Amino acid sequence: MKLVIDERRCKGCNICTMVCPYRIFREGDRLNDRGVVVPRLDRPERCTNCRLQGLYGRRLCGVCQMICPDQAIRWEEEKPYEPHRVVIEF
Amino acid sequence: MSADDWFRTDRLPHIYCTGCGNGTIINCTLEAVDAMGWNKNDTVFISGIGCSSRAPGYIVTDSLHTTHGRALAFATGVKLANPRLHIVVFTGDGDLAAIGGNHFIHACRRNVDMTVVCMNNMIYGMTGGQGSPCTPVGALSTTTPYGMGEPVFDLAELAVTAGANYVARWTSYHVTELTRAIQTGLETPGFSFIEAMVQCPTAYGRRNKLRQVSDMITYLKTHALLMQKKKRMEEEGEPIPPEMFAVGEFTRRSRPALGVPK
Repeated sequence: MKLVIDERRCKGCNICTMVCPYRIFREGDRLNDRGVVVPRLDRPERCTNCRLQGLYGRRLCGVCQMICPDQAIRWEEEKPYEPHRVVIEF
Repeated sequence: MSADDWFRTDRLPHIYCTGCGNGTIINCTLEAVDAMGWNKNDTVFISGIGCSSRAPGYIVTDSLHTTHGRALAFATGVKLANPRLHIVVFTGDGDLAAIGGNHFIHACRRNVDMTVVCMNNMIYGMTGGQGSPCTPVGALSTTTPYGMGEPVFDLAELAVTAGANYVARWTSYHVTELTRAIQTGLETPGFSFIEAMVQCPTAYGRRNKLRQVSDMITYLKTHALLMQKKKRMEEEGEPIPPEMFAVGEFTRRSRPALGVPK
């Protein structure tokens, strides 16, 4: 699974940067074509849901998706899926 | 099926301001509704007037956008006309507590089978930041330029006293707990009231030195007092800071309900 921010919906409120336990969402630094500073993703393969959703068959964590007021965060299937070597630090 | 299927994706992004918490509450509600496995044809979302009440416009099911404060009156009518329908009411603090206050207490008293999600942003956001019954003491708004002098209306306690079957309060920061509370409310026959404290950086935060969304979320986080901790503090005789609000489950009981299909 791949973590995606929908740039058409994001309004740049940066709430996601407050809630992710891995701090994957970082404040962005450049305006997109709608004039919104969309957060950038810092090594999104560390996300629990990206790594383990297929194994558990349900959504894990998912707080960023729930708290996003603009419904801009979602996970997409990656094809072909290549396993990443992931270093987890808190 | 997932919560995404309940959104009218052609209408998104919605008109809420940057950082408004109402979108979070819609996410949580749709997640809970989706977990109930309800059919879209049997579910009705009803709202009054206000920022919060624009929510049903972004949901694919049938909805009623009614006059100011009268969402519960319309919802009672819908439920009694067709008890098979599942009713979810979105409302705000100005809609429910100020203008629709009497409808609220009587819907609680009658215990009509519906779930009410109140997005309490502590101010009238849509009309330009007037003080509402839920504006905290000392907070600035356009109608209280020297600070709010009136005590806050505790909607959850009011619903408990008026006779609702399930009452809970969470904030837009506590998404998991809020989703669980809404789902319990949907499962409970009778009147379920879930008060969700949401941030309003545009109308409330801008006038109260909480302009950044993160400041507003931190305000909600630090001012929420867990129910268990509040009870423990009361037992130990510790004073409870007046600016804090209790979060958690207020009541869960089974009074006779109106409009439950036999």
